[in-house]
Amino acid sequence: MPIKDFLIILVGVSVLMFVCRVAPVVLLKGRDLPDGVKRALGYIPAAAFAALVANDLFDPADFAAGVDPMTWAGPLIAAVVVAVVGFKTKSMAWCIVSGVVSLAIVMYVPDLIM
Amino acid sequence: MPEEIEVEVREAFKRALKPALPIIAGYIVLGLPCGILSATAGMSWWMVAILSIVFYSGAGQYMIPNMWLAANPITAIIASVGLVNTRQMLYGTSLSQFCGNVGKGLATFFGATVTDESFGVNYAKFLEGDWSVKDALAVNLYSQTTWMLSCTVGCILGSAVAVPSALASFAMTSLFLCLLCMQPTTAENGVVVAAAVLGVVVCKLVGLSGAAIFLGAVIGIVCGMLFGSRVSRAVKQASCEKGGDR
Repeated sequence: MPIKDFLIILVGVSVLMFVCRVAPVVLLKGRDLPDGVKRALGYIPAAAFAALVANDLFDPADFAAGVDPMTWAGPLIAAVVVAVVGFKTKSMAWCIVSGVVSLAIVMYVPDLIM
Repeated sequence: MPEEIEVEVREAFKRALKPALPIIAGYIVLGLPCGILSATAGMSWWMVAILSIVFYSGAGQYMIPNMWLAANPITAIIASVGLVNTRQMLYGTSLSQFCGNVGKGLATFFGATVTDESFGVNYAKFLEGDWSVKDALAVNLYSQTTWMLSCTVGCILGSAVAVPSALASFAMTSLFLCLLCMQPTTAENGVVVAAAVLGVVVCKLVGLSGAAIFLGAVIGIVCGMLFGSRVSRAVKQASCEKGGDR
């Protein structure tokens, strides 16, 4: 990647990112927001993490003809395992370990057996 | 640096280490392949290091080399990456409620170093109480330092190491799932989660992949608001009717 192209990309994405990250914090801090807005703020974590998980697990391309169903079913199975571990332990470390291990098992063990 | 502040800073980093550990572990696993991918796209190690410090975005730093390798124009790269990162506005909006009594400088520094993962960890700690913006900033800085080192090392090692990318990225999916499981299990949150998931699926099906996370989350929040106000209206109505019976 030429240095000039790198610099344009660097400045472009960084300025956009900085505005998205900092503007709400600086503009809204210390303000007494209406009750409705406060309620909406409380929904942000659940909405954002649900959207991030859905975005990671769902890809329309996985459902095209000829794609191995395990491409989407494997991560989905592992996600169910993580959800159970998450509800039981509330531990991020255990979630990461159980998630990666269970995905490795569903991805690689069938190939080893057959 | 005056001694008082130095002690305060040291204290914040001490308190922040344990909550930051899962993020640190995740960023090591995710940063190495990101650096390798960047090397494949012809980026030098110093480019990766600067990008990790100034821009600092997991999803973004995977997208840039991927789109570059696919020969996309620079404007398309900037626009797509910007779109994916609009979700950061939600975190800033949410975290602003804990920044009421800190200065503009600290609030800016804190806001500029928030990621998906550190938002989740700090939000939980803020709700628990006894958590300052300085502690939260320390979590962010542990995370960012790890990310920068991991990406840079990945870029230097290049293709010498092979981490299966599906497994590496699933470490972060697992972390998001855990952060989701830590949210209070209320009927309203149930509606929010279901609507957000459905929103993401629909967005991706109609080709709005870039904005899917942001739009999905906003759809979730709006549905939660609609559901919440219906519930509170029903409760009000029920109590009015009870009053009428008497």
